[in-house]
Amino acid sequence: MTPWTAAALLVVAGLALAAAARLWLGYPPAPGLRALARREAAFLDAAADAMFPPGGPLPSGRDARVAEGLDAYLRVVPARMRRLMRLLFALLEHATLVFPAPPPRGRRRFSSLARAQRAAVLEAWRTSDVFARRLVFTSLRALLVNAYVADRGVLSALGLAPYVVETPVAEADLLYPPLGMPRSAIRPTATTPPSDGRPLAPDAPRLFGPGAPAAPEPRP
Amino acid sequence: MTAALAGEVRVFADYAGDVREEADVAVVGSGPCGAVVAKELAEAGRRVVLLEEGPPFTPSDFVLDGAHSMARTMREGGLRATRGYVMPTLQAICLGGGSLVNSAICVRPPDFVFDAWCEDFELARTRGKDLAPHFDAVSDFLGIAPTPEDVQGPRNLLFRDGCRALGIASEPIPRNVRGCRGSGECFTGCRSRAKQSMDLSYVPAALRAGARVLTSVQVQGVRTQGARVLGVEGRVVAPFGGPASHRVRVDARVVVLSAGCMATPILLQRSGNLANRSGQVGRNLQFHPGVMMTGVFPERVRPEFGATQGYQSLAFLEQGFKLETFWAPPTALALRMPGMGDAFVRRLAELPRSATWDAILSCHRSLGTVRPRRGSGLDPVITWHFHPDDVPLLGRATAVLARIFEAAGAEKVLPGVHGLPDELPAREAAEALARRAWKATDVVSGSTHAFCTTRMHGDPRRGVVDESGRCHDLDNLYVADTGVFPRCTSVNPMLTAMALAHRTAAAIRDRA
Repeated sequence: MTPWTAAALLVVAGLALAAAARLWLGYPPAPGLRALARREAAFLDAAADAMFPPGGPLPSGRDARVAEGLDAYLRVVPARMRRLMRLLFALLEHATLVFPAPPPRGRRRFSSLARAQRAAVLEAWRTSDVFARRLVFTSLRALLVNAYVADRGVLSALGLAPYVVETPVAEADLLYPPLGMPRSAIRPTATTPPSDGRPLAPDAPRLFGPGAPAAPEPRP
Repeated sequence: MTAALAGEVRVFADYAGDVREEADVAVVGSGPCGAVVAKELAEAGRRVVLLEEGPPFTPSDFVLDGAHSMARTMREGGLRATRGYVMPTLQAICLGGGSLVNSAICVRPPDFVFDAWCEDFELARTRGKDLAPHFDAVSDFLGIAPTPEDVQGPRNLLFRDGCRALGIASEPIPRNVRGCRGSGECFTGCRSRAKQSMDLSYVPAALRAGARVLTSVQVQGVRTQGARVLGVEGRVVAPFGGPASHRVRVDARVVVLSAGCMATPILLQRSGNLANRSGQVGRNLQFHPGVMMTGVFPERVRPEFGATQGYQSLAFLEQGFKLETFWAPPTALALRMPGMGDAFVRRLAELPRSATWDAILSCHRSLGTVRPRRGSGLDPVITWHFHPDDVPLLGRATAVLARIFEAAGAEKVLPGVHGLPDELPAREAAEALARRAWKATDVVSGSTHAFCTTRMHGDPRRGVVDESGRCHDLDNLYVADTGVFPRCTSVNPMLTAMALAHRTAAAIRDRA
């Protein structure tokens, strides 16, 4: 190998490292998350902040801890779907390096852009005349909205927290054990009268939020 | 290990080794059709083994968050979509199948549907009057009745009022529910135990009659010898896509495949392209694509209260669509709201003043295929395309929905159609929707109603099963699920599928 060839290889390697760093490094830590990488958490946090900005009638995306909610969701979806979601996050995080956001300095990773720039980028995907682009946006929005609206603060603000519902003991409840348990875990008990069909009153208690009678259920 | 437990359910934690069973009838799939077959044949004295890949869910297992609930109760985590025309579609994986997490709609199709089936598919015994006794039997057992007015809630009754004002016939939706309290939780499991899902109704009845129910068993193949099947084989699988473990083999004199319109053809294809001399297995796939529209009213409509789907209109069935009210977990319903950023959050805040109604479209010209995905499971690759002649149904149906919203007093509607404003006064929306040149990709449709992948046909060269559900090619293999429909039903398919399954059970009982 000549010195010139070695130098050229070093330059190419340096450029490759710089590109890789631009793509994958420099993200803030994401403590407590188990499924999302820190770059994915940063992207989702930035996307949620653009989608659900503060100052409106409902909690902001950051207040609703959307990235945390999606971390929990990713843990329960099949691996193939998880891979597709990661691809979606990577595509949108880095697409602005090729198709820049509005100035200033629009050719940065999505999560490094200002909120207004991020909103403009997502709006362009949403209203594109290309169906595939709209579909990419719809997929991302579905994930974000699921995590956002599942937040108890958001549901309570909407007045849509689930009702407290009495659950009768039916014959079937003596046939099946709870998930993950053997049949021996079925507790012998008597059945109770079935639901009488009384409509839930407008002020019927909710599982959480104002007037909730019991401690809230933990997030799944 | 040979299980000797009669009339009992086995769950994943109960399996300690390989399983070998003998039965008169092995039924694959515990959804609405498999459960009917199992109960009817067990009560007729047959030794029945009912196999289900998913686990049973108890009320303590229900999760109220929509996405998390679907990840546990649906195949592919509830994230399945078609190729070609990209459309979300769902298939349940739990004891009771889709009945655990559907809105319990039980509608009999009008006679013209069955007349067309008979005329176009060379069927002689499948007219409305032929099927009436089977519909009656299922309806009586489940206590199917119109949704009571006191659990309709405003969002269902607004639909009724809008239809009345326009002179459009509408009616409370008949459902397999006893004692509904209007909690609006049909899609995540009924905590009131009011919905008569199969795990609460038909499966316990089958158990009382001595059926054995093996859950967490994925059937992977049908064993055959010549023109007869010998039984099925598969593996114990952990819930929620966990690894496979012990082997399972059930020797049976008759096998009934009720794995659903998507999984039954995959099972046949994975069993050496079984029952496919016609070449129709996995073909002719049809859907009822659904489109939704949200209307925003001046006052709160308390949308979280009321039957999930309580009112419908069958007035446009012959024109190709059915209209109905809709509610889902707020996480899913919020997806209907358009916009970005501040505008989006403002619209989300209007959810309590909104009602969402939908149309299901009879797209019988739009066809697709189902084939196995790489690997050993029953997940399919689904390809489906909107036929150009079916696309205008999108415009007609959504325009009618907008008119009903206007008549019901909505201050605006959110059409959710590419190229239209995010929100419009209902009258303007109706006009715009009716006159636009539609493309299928203008909306994101979705469908949980799938049909025809093992269709019934009087001619063995053009269909997979005969009118009793028996495969033309094999003497003792039956199919009982929506795959046997020769064409879509135009209405929600569960009751029709159960009635056909009831007829299949009677045919098996009478032959043996």
